[in-house]
Parts: sequence; structure tokens; C-alpha cells
Amino acid sequence: MMDLKKTGQHGGYGRLPATAPLANPYVPFQYEDPPKYEPRTAIVRGTLFPGLDLPFMNKVNKNELPVTPLTELQTLGFVIQELALYLDTHRDDKEAFEVFKDFQKLYAKGREQYEKECGPLTHMSAMEHGYSWLNDPWPWEYAANREV
Amino acid sequence: MFIYNKKLQYPVKIDKPNPRLASIIISQYGGPDGELGASLRYLSQRYSMPFDELKGLLTDIGTEELGHLEMIGAIVHQLTRNMKDSQIQDSAFAPYFVDHTAGVYPTAASGFPWNAASIAVKGDPIADLTEDLAAEQKARVTYDNILRLSDDPDVNNVIKFLREREVVHFQRFGEAMQLLREKLNQKNVYCMNPAIDM
Repeated sequence: MMDLKKTGQHGGYGRLPATAPLANPYVPFQYEDPPKYEPRTAIVRGTLFPGLDLPFMNKVNKNELPVTPLTELQTLGFVIQELALYLDTHRDDKEAFEVFKDFQKLYAKGREQYEKECGPLTHMSAMEHGYSWLNDPWPWEYAANREV
Repeated sequence: MFIYNKKLQYPVKIDKPNPRLASIIISQYGGPDGELGASLRYLSQRYSMPFDELKGLLTDIGTEELGHLEMIGAIVHQLTRNMKDSQIQDSAFAPYFVDHTAGVYPTAASGFPWNAASIAVKGDPIADLTEDLAAEQKARVTYDNILRLSDDPDVNNVIKFLREREVVHFQRFGEAMQLLREKLNQKNVYCMNPAIDM
């Protein structure tokens, strides 16, 4: 017999309270205010959260992205995306929401800098030198990675 | 509505063309567990979802998957640029090349074109979220298999990023299931379909 005291009968170790609905898939909730990677580590790992970083054959991405206005914006955008998905299921986590808002501000600044140097990101962006929306490179091209 | 952002979610910069690898990776563009199916699955399932968290999560993950579709397209495009005829003739890429040249077409690596039969929209939130949990696992395994077949670090860095996103999405869908369950009859979560009976 399993020792229920040791395994934690009321959750915490994979067991559920006796009143929980059966015949239903369970994924444990991520704790609130979870530890976070630095943004530049987060983007190459593919997650902001060390607790969710579960690489194949334990081969982790150790590469560093070159520091350019594009990767700066991609990094900030990635943290916002990751926090948005977290907040979708943790809407009451006030600390995470504060971090989310801080990154929104950083993104707005980064975006302004990027568009000044590299051109418009959307049709809503300012275009001061003609219809620069069309200018190469497009995002899927090798040349999109130029280091300014 | 959707507005195009003229950047990728994560940079794709592949120095060496490798058509053999492109013929494998195309499966995550148009294969049964690929990013096209993922985005259409989530963006279509959201219409019948009750509760704002579920509508939001499916919209947000479905949108991210469209970004991943673009990244896979970028990988295939860069792996097939400046190819030499000899690279095509001797490679597993030849059957794809004869139909699509260096274009990016939504097909499985096995040659089967993208098919909506590889996704499901059941219109019942527990059934659809359970499908989504399985879908994320299948996509993860496809990326595992690509990592087994590829030794190009430029490609693998991007594949590892995309693979990890599947792990995160699985977690969020699991949490969404829990949020849904809390709002249902605790004695019998299957006593009705919350998409149409609530």
C-alpha cells in the first residue's frame, strides 16, 4: 500500500482530493510568480520559465543571438508572448502582470528604435521615405539577419 | 483581424543549403502535426469555447502557431536557396522538387498534401482541449524526430525553440482544462456540453 501521508493525499505530489472529478486529464498548475530566465536566455531556450524547460536528450540551446535592433525586439516580444500565455491561465497573478506591463513599455521603445533603423513593421507604422513597406529584405530571407 | 508584423518570432539564418533536410522539415509546414494544422485547429475551435480564458488562450496560441508556420517556411526557403543540380539529383528532395521546385507547399514529408482531416473541431470544450493536449505532444515528437535527423546547428537552434514552445503550449492547455473543470458540475463534468448547454 502506498503511504498516503508521505505522497500527499491532498495534492502536491500528483494525488488529487477524493472529491476531484475522475476520468479527466490533469496537468498540474504552474505556481504563481514562477522563476524566470533573463530575456536573452529565455528566447534561445524557447521559454521564459526554467520549470518548463524540458529539452530533447537534454541538449539545450546555448547559442546567443547577435545583438541587433531586430533580435532586441524579438527578445522583448517573446517575453511578452510567454507572459501573455501565462496570464491567460493565471489572470490574478499581480506580479506577473506588473512584469508584463514593464515589458510592454520596453517593447514600445524598442519598436520605435527598430522602425527608425530598419523600416516599418506594419501598415500602421510611419513611413517617411516613400512607401518603404515594400523594401527588402522580407522576414523569411537570409538577408533579414543583417547586422546593422 | 490579423495585421502582419514584418518580422519573425525567432531569427532564421541558415548558412548551408540542404535540400534533403528541407524535404523532412516541410512536414511541420503541411504535415499532420504541423504548424498549419495547429493554427487552424486552435483558431477554429475558439468559436465554440465558453469562458473568456479559453477564447483568449486559443486565440493567442493559434496566432503564435501562424508565426511558427512562417518560421518553418523560412527554414525550408533558406535550405533550398542556391541549390546546385547535383544536390537535387542525389537527394530525397527530388520528388518534392519535381512538383514544387523551390516553392514552399503545405505537404507532409511523406508526400501527402495538407488535409483538414488531420485536425479536429468537435464543438465540446473538454474534447477539443484534450485534442489540443495530444496535438502538442505529437508536434513535440515530430520536432524530436527532426533533431534526430539533422546535424545542422543553424537549423537545430530554431527547431529546439519551436519544440520547446509545444511543451509550454501543452502546459497552458492543461491549465485551461483545469479552469474549465472548476466551472462545471463537480460531481459529473460530462453531464452536458458547456458549449451549447450553459
